Amino acid sequence: MRDDTGIPRRTLLQGAAVLGATALAGGAVGATRKAAFAEDGKAGAAPQDAEAATSQGGMQYGFLVRMSNCVNCQQCVEACRKANGTPEDVPARRAVTPYTTANGQKVYVSTSCMHCEDPACATVCPARAITKGEGGVVTVDHDRCIGCKYCYQACPFGVPHYTSAGMDKCDLCLEAGVALGEAPNCVQACKFRALHFGTIDELVAGSGGRAKKIEASTGPSYVLL
Amino acid sequence: MAELQSVWGWQPALYLFLGGMGAGAFVVAALLYFLDRQSNRKTICIASWAATACLVAGLLLLLSELTNPLRGMLLWQSFSNGTSWMTFGAWVVFAAVIVFGLMAVLSTEQWVKPVSKKWKGYPKARNRMRSVLAVVGIALGLCVAVYTGILLMSVPGVPLWNTLLLPCLFTVSALDTGAALVEIVAVAPKRAVLSNKTHRLLEASVMVLVVLEVVVLAAFLATMQGSDLTTATGATAAASARLLAQGMLAPFFWLLVGACGLALPLAMAIAGMVLRKRRKSGRTAMLVGAAGALVGGCALRFLVLMAGLHADVVAQAVSKIVS
Repeated sequence: MRDDTGIPRRTLLQGAAVLGATALAGGAVGATRKAAFAEDGKAGAAPQDAEAATSQGGMQYGFLVRMSNCVNCQQCVEACRKANGTPEDVPARRAVTPYTTANGQKVYVSTSCMHCEDPACATVCPARAITKGEGGVVTVDHDRCIGCKYCYQACPFGVPHYTSAGMDKCDLCLEAGVALGEAPNCVQACKFRALHFGTIDELVAGSGGRAKKIEASTGPSYVLL
Repeated sequence: MAELQSVWGWQPALYLFLGGMGAGAFVVAALLYFLDRQSNRKTICIASWAATACLVAGLLLLLSELTNPLRGMLLWQSFSNGTSWMTFGAWVVFAAVIVFGLMAVLSTEQWVKPVSKKWKGYPKARNRMRSVLAVVGIALGLCVAVYTGILLMSVPGVPLWNTLLLPCLFTVSALDTGAALVEIVAVAPKRAVLSNKTHRLLEASVMVLVVLEVVVLAAFLATMQGSDLTTATGATAAASARLLAQGMLAPFFWLLVGACGLALPLAMAIAGMVLRKRRKSGRTAMLVGAAGALVGGCALRFLVLMAGLHADVVAQAVSKIVS
């Protein structure tokens, strides 16, 4: 379906009308941000100080996709499904989508939750079941989720899926036992070095600044190269 | 061909319709209360019960759509996030059910005598309470009507819904369908006789609301179709509007919303006025027009929900990087 014939070219200027105060206090986090980078400068190093790695100003983990390396082998999707025990009748937390660009080039992009800077899913969740926590990871509290599916509608990427336990999406494999800062199962499964994990700053720096963030009003933590 | 939105199925669509119609019906019934409460007493009573039943049915439908309905019933926990419009809506609808229900109970004539026997001041207190409930109910009814649109407007993921015109459209439609429900309640009993004042209010409401709805609906579709096609969200907004006006949903849109929901009630309201000038009741015309308005209002919620496509934001990013 998404193997489109004409992808729009210009930058997305999304007129978001997210209402209500997000109450993300900006102060008091600048100092801790510096500390977080000083301690955890490399990908794979788990932050020790939860305070230093909160969403508001600490490091932000995310993914980088090298589109030229992805061959649509689906190993990342299978690894994700297996590690997180996604039911057969529910889409996996990760998907590989083919795109044909305007000049006829076919590329594949593996996507999951984008762990946005200002997640619309958390803003609209009536039950406060979705939170942005340590490392900027957006997680779901299954003891609070009522499964109203409002988060699916709010997410610019239509990421949330639903199981009998409520909303289901990528949590960087934290519940599957992967420590924060370590590569999630999808990244470990990628044999073509197409999918990378780390802090967004590191991922962009590692690409020589060529990797570009996916742009949306919510500020996705996902870069493409 | 674009896949229709199906994550929210028929329950939320029906909830939005019932919520809007119930709220609108109470607003119109409360206006009748202030206009002429004596001759409209039966209409006010039945309309208040109907409005309450609509909201309760809507809430039950919403609960049935949840993956965890039992947890959803713990209102104080499940609707506690102040940044979510769903939280606001849940509490407003809950308050409206109470106020509409109290108005219905107090408007039920059969219960006045038995209560008066035990409480002599009841008739006086009843009138005072009903006046307060009518005012509070109008405010809550308007909030519920607006909320059914804001619920959709506040999601950035669906470009078709992410516009202020949607709450405007749903509010007008809520009042329109509410007036239609009150019309049915008022003239459905065979021996029902409406005062001239009531007739005029209902017919004028229908005409004004239908014209207003046509204007808002046209602005909504034109705005969406005129979106910036070079952006993913703009292109999706236009595609959603095309689905409604020209695409696979168009036959339903034009027949159910356009013809049944707008043209028919307007024609019947005009026919009713002409018939009454000729000293005929115009009862059938009112019933037919009202039934058309309800079909149209219900179809509008279903179609707008189904046409709510997500934009492919990643595609745009890929294009930008590859080129």
